Amino acid sequence: MEQVLQNLFDALRRSGVRISLSESMDAMRAASLVGYEQRQILKDSLSITLAKSRIEKEIFDSCFDRFFSQDGFSDPEAGPPLSQTTELSEEDSPLSRMVISGDGTGLSMSMRQAAQVVNIAGIRFFTQKNLYIHRILKGMGLEGMDRDIQRLSRQDDMSSLAKAEGLKEARDVLFEYVRAFVEQQFGLFAESATEKIIEKYLRGVRLSNLEQRDFDRMHKIIKKMVKRLNDIHSRRRKTSKKGCLDLKKTLRENVAYQGLLFEPRWKAKKIDRPDIVALSDVSRSVEAVSRFMLLFLYSLNEAVARIRSFIFCSNLVEVSHVFEEYQVEEALERIQSGTGLGIQLGRTDYGQAFRDFKEDGLGQVTNKTTVIVLGDARNNHGDPQTDLLKLIQKRSKRIIWLNPEPPSFWGIGDSEMKKYMPYCYLVKECSTVRHLERVVDSLLI
Amino acid sequence: MREENGLKLDSIEEIQRGFEASGYVCNQQIATTLYLAYHLEKPILVEGPAGVGKTELAKTASKYLGIPLIRLQCYEGLDESKALYEWKYGKQLLYTQILKDKLNDILEGTEGLAASMARLHKHDDIFFSSDFLEPRPLLKALQQEEGAVLLIDEVDKSDQEFEAFLLEILSDFQVSVPEIGTIGAITKPFVFLTSNNTREMSEALKRRCLHLFIPFPDSRLERRIIQVRVPQLSDDLRRQLVSFIQQVRGLDLKKVPSISETIDWARVLLLLHASSLSPDIIKETINIFLKFEDDIEVVREHLHDMADRAVRGL
Repeated sequence: MEQVLQNLFDALRRSGVRISLSESMDAMRAASLVGYEQRQILKDSLSITLAKSRIEKEIFDSCFDRFFSQDGFSDPEAGPPLSQTTELSEEDSPLSRMVISGDGTGLSMSMRQAAQVVNIAGIRFFTQKNLYIHRILKGMGLEGMDRDIQRLSRQDDMSSLAKAEGLKEARDVLFEYVRAFVEQQFGLFAESATEKIIEKYLRGVRLSNLEQRDFDRMHKIIKKMVKRLNDIHSRRRKTSKKGCLDLKKTLRENVAYQGLLFEPRWKAKKIDRPDIVALSDVSRSVEAVSRFMLLFLYSLNEAVARIRSFIFCSNLVEVSHVFEEYQVEEALERIQSGTGLGIQLGRTDYGQAFRDFKEDGLGQVTNKTTVIVLGDARNNHGDPQTDLLKLIQKRSKRIIWLNPEPPSFWGIGDSEMKKYMPYCYLVKECSTVRHLERVVDSLLI
Repeated sequence: MREENGLKLDSIEEIQRGFEASGYVCNQQIATTLYLAYHLEKPILVEGPAGVGKTELAKTASKYLGIPLIRLQCYEGLDESKALYEWKYGKQLLYTQILKDKLNDILEGTEGLAASMARLHKHDDIFFSSDFLEPRPLLKALQQEEGAVLLIDEVDKSDQEFEAFLLEILSDFQVSVPEIGTIGAITKPFVFLTSNNTREMSEALKRRCLHLFIPFPDSRLERRIIQVRVPQLSDDLRRQLVSFIQQVRGLDLKKVPSISETIDWARVLLLLHASSLSPDIIKETINIFLKFEDDIEVVREHLHDMADRAVRGL
C-alpha cells in the first residue's frame, strides 16, 4: 500500500500540489491510523495532511478520484463476456483461464501488477500510450492466450472453434480495458494532462490563463519587493539613537546596577511596512499593458497595508477602495470601465494628474513614502509640469517610475520621460512579469 | 492529554457524537481531522469564511475534553512579550531593593573585587528564574498539567515575523526563553489556528499543521446545526429558514450570511413566535443576517420569489 500512496503523492506533485517529505510521512501515518476500509475517511485524512489550500484541495479531490477509480475489470457488471458453456482445459494459459472463469479481480490484479513492472508512473507523452498498452498486455500473458486461440482454431470440433471465437472477442475487450486503464494513468502521471485540470480551475476565474499565471507569480515577486523596500527602511532606523525612554528595557538592563538608572535604553520606532503611493496611467496609449499594470497595482494593494492607489488619464482619482472591496476580476473591470469613479478618459495629461495629486494625495506623502508611477509619460505635448514632480520628489522618500515602453522610445515624440527622469530614484522598463522581477532585483541596492 | 481524553478521541464516530452532545455538529471531515490531530500530535489550521464556526470548534473541543481553553488573539504588531512571556520587572526591582542588605551577608569574608564577583556569580541567575516570569498564552498553554486547548485566533492578522516565531511551538511544543533555556510542554496541548485567509500563510507553517477547510454547510447539515442550537424551533420553520438562507448565499452579496447569523435569525424568529416564513417577517428581520445596505437591497428584489420557494420547499 505504501507504494500505492507514493504513486499518489507523485501524481499530486505533478499536478502542482506541493508535498514535502514530512507531509508525505504524516499522510502515511494518517492512512495507517484510519485504515483503508472507508474511502471517504481515507480521502479526508489524506486531504488534510497533504493539500494545504483551497486550490490544492480541489486538485487533490480530482486526483484522488481518478487515482482510486475502478477499472473495467473490477466493475462486476461488465466482466469480459464469454459464453458460460466453454470449459477449462489443462492446456489453457493462465490468462485464458481467468478470462473464461470471469475472474475480474484476478484480471485487475494481474493488470496492475504488470503495470507496476513496466513502470506506468513513468509515462509522459501520449505517443507512449500504445507502447505501454502492449507491454502491460504482454506482462499479463497475452502471448499464452494467443497461442490458445491458434491452437483451438486449428482443431475442427465445434466447441473448440466456438471457444477460440470467444477468446478472440475477450481479447478485444481485454485490450479495451487495458487501453482505458493506461489512458487513466496517463491522465494522472503525464504533465500535459494534469495541466489541464489546473487550467480548468483557472478558467473558472475570469482572468485569462496567462494573466492568472502572471498574477500568481506577481504575488511572489511583489512579496519580495515589499520585503526589499522594508529592508531599506528598517536598516536606516535601527542606527538612530533618538526616541523615547523604554522603561521596561531600562529597568531590565539596570537590574545589574542595583536598580540605579545607570544606562538608559531608548525605544526606537521601527517601521516595518513601506508606505506606498501608486499612480497608474490608464489611457489608451498604454492600453496594451494597462491590465498588467492594474494587476500589479492590485497585488501591491494586497501585500502592502499602507498604500494609496490612484489612476489617471485626463484627471486623477483614487481607487484604493475599489481594490479593497472587490475581487481581482471585478476590480479590474470597474477600473477599466471607470464606472462611478469620475475619471475622464480623454487625452492623457500628466501635468493635470500631478496637479490633482498635489491637491488630494500630497498631504499624506511623507519622507518615508515611496511613490511608484506606472505610465509611458506620453503627455500629448502638454505642459509636463516637472516642477510638480520635483515637489513630489522632495516630499517623498523616492519616486520609482515604471515605463511600459523600452528605453529607446523614451523622449521620442510626445514622451516626456527624459524630462521626468532626473527626479526619479529609479526608472525602468516594465511591461511583463520578467521585467518586474528585474526591477525588484535592482531595488536591492 | 489525559487518558480519558484519549478515550473521548478514540474513534471518529465517538468524536462526532461527543461534539454534537456539546452543541457542535461536525461532519465526518472535521471529526477525522480532530481524530488525526490527536493521534499525530499536530496542530490544526482551520480556514474558511467568517462565521462558519472556526473558533467555536476550539471552544467546543475544550468543553468536550474538559480542559481549559487558552486563547491568543492575533493582531498586527503582536510580539513575543505579549504572546509568550514577559519578565516581572516590578518584582525584580522590588526584590533587588529589599535584598540590598543581604548583599553584605553574602559578600562577608571575601577579599577584593574578583573574589566578591566570584561569590556573586553563584547567585547570578536568581532574578531571571521562572519565579520572575510572567507567562503569556503560549507559555501558559505549555505549563498546564492537564493539557489545554490552545486557540491561536486569526493568525493571518499577525505579522510574518510572528508566524515564523510560532513554528517552534507548533512543531516541537516547546519555547525558548534566552535567560532560562528551552521550556517543553508538560502535556502537549491541542492547538487550533484559525485564519480568514486575508493573507496566504507561509509554507513552513502549513507544513506543520493539518489543514482543515470549513465551507458553508449544505442545507442538510445546516438544518442539523439549527436543530441542535435552537431546538425549540418547529421543523417546518427550520426547513424554510435554511432553504431561504441557502438561496441568499447564492446571490452576489458583499457579505453572505454565516452560520452564526442563521442561528441568530432562528432565535429571533422564535422570539417573535413566527409560524412560517412570510415576506413581511423577513423584511422586518432582514438586518439580523445582512449587514450592508446594498445587500439588503439585492435581497429585497428577490425576496418574494425566494420566500415562496422556501415555503413551498423547493
